[in-house]
Amino acid sequence: MNQFIRRGMLPMQGGVLSHRLFASLPPLTPSPLPSRREAHLWYVVPDELKDASQLKKYMELLSSCERERVLSMNGERLQKGALLSRALVRTTLARYCRVNPQSIKFKTSKFGKPEIMWQHGDQCNQPSLQFNVSHSSSLIACGITVDVPIGIDVEEKQRKTMSSISSLARRYFSPSEVEYLGSFSNTDARQKEFIKLWTLKEAYVKALGRGFSGAPFKDFTIRLEATKAMQLAAVPRVHIEADSDPEYLTDNWEFALFELSSSHYAAVCMERDISHSGRENEPLRLKVWKTIPFVEDEFVSGTNAVKYICGLS
Amino acid sequence: MANVSATSIRLGSPFTPMSYTKAGRTSPILSLGTTKAAFPSLRLSRFRVYCAAKPETVKKVMEIVKKQLALSDDVALTPESKLSVLGADSLDTVEIVMGLEEEFGISVEEDNSQNITTVQEAADLIEKLVQKKSEAAN
Repeated sequence: MNQFIRRGMLPMQGGVLSHRLFASLPPLTPSPLPSRREAHLWYVVPDELKDASQLKKYMELLSSCERERVLSMNGERLQKGALLSRALVRTTLARYCRVNPQSIKFKTSKFGKPEIMWQHGDQCNQPSLQFNVSHSSSLIACGITVDVPIGIDVEEKQRKTMSSISSLARRYFSPSEVEYLGSFSNTDARQKEFIKLWTLKEAYVKALGRGFSGAPFKDFTIRLEATKAMQLAAVPRVHIEADSDPEYLTDNWEFALFELSSSHYAAVCMERDISHSGRENEPLRLKVWKTIPFVEDEFVSGTNAVKYICGLS
Repeated sequence: MANVSATSIRLGSPFTPMSYTKAGRTSPILSLGTTKAAFPSLRLSRFRVYCAAKPETVKKVMEIVKKQLALSDDVALTPESKLSVLGADSLDTVEIVMGLEEEFGISVEEDNSQNITTVQEAADLIEKLVQKKSEAAN
């Protein structure tokens, strides 16, 4: 990829040249905004994207800062992942805002969570879009909500850890979770449950937006339980451990856990909508698209690409 | 570039910052002129000490990082290497921290582990924690 993306060859930000280059890209299919109780997820599979000229076009969407970061990654594979991650965020947001993906500006919250920096006169700041990105080495996903914070995490189902599951759990998970994992005698099953729990916990921490130290994994438990309405499906619920500081750890969140693209576990966490009473126990609604930005979009909810595990309606 | 911080240790006496000779001359940096006491490690906590971790510590950290991230031998791993640039995600980072804890017999708090972004930072934190641990034991 580097042979096509030498720094000297990149167009300047703004100006006639970049406008002409951008105009050569087909428009992104605009998308209707998610409803208040809905999350949208767009994902890309890097291995399916081999067209170097397409990658070059994505590079042109990035800010110079983002390009620097992409190029600083160690090796082509990591650079490609970093590039697609930024391109996915920009193009996904552009679908909902109907703006040039290159024009979106970002900032980080005081806790380091990436956010959109709305410019004066942006059509998109009412209602406000929230987003969160996650990537494994083989899949990159971007979750979108309106108004409510969102956190997502994706992880390869087969991800093997260097340390044992039980030592990792003992070190990082809550006592209830350690006990839950210990109940699986089959190591393969235990490894899978660990990954599922990991993605749920990561998604929660990312939704909270306070960083890993703001919500230490040990201080909260994620449990599956039947809803009050006795629905067939169990929903993951977050329980705050008694001796932790409840101020930052809130339990007003809903989760969805599913298999994505047959290869990954994915967790989505969004703030619960308490404005409509009686609907608190309704599971999260989720819509998923697989994309190669500017090339192909595929709505995959309801297909084998999205296999619900718990928490989804 | 040579790691300058490894060779300069700045100390100030608790009474006068940095310089403690009369005639306006500044003492050479490593002078312990006002005190006969040797370099007691407990007293270091009252001074601002700035020194980098021992090379052996850095080397061990690099070994653990290399193993966790399955880096090939031709990857240019330096103390300044950023973990994120090497491809570490959050699960890699917690595994690295746990590996360092086991290797060095220390315990890393969550907010400290978030500040580890490079090999050097990990090594510096380890040495700080190892030192704290030995002080607590004395």
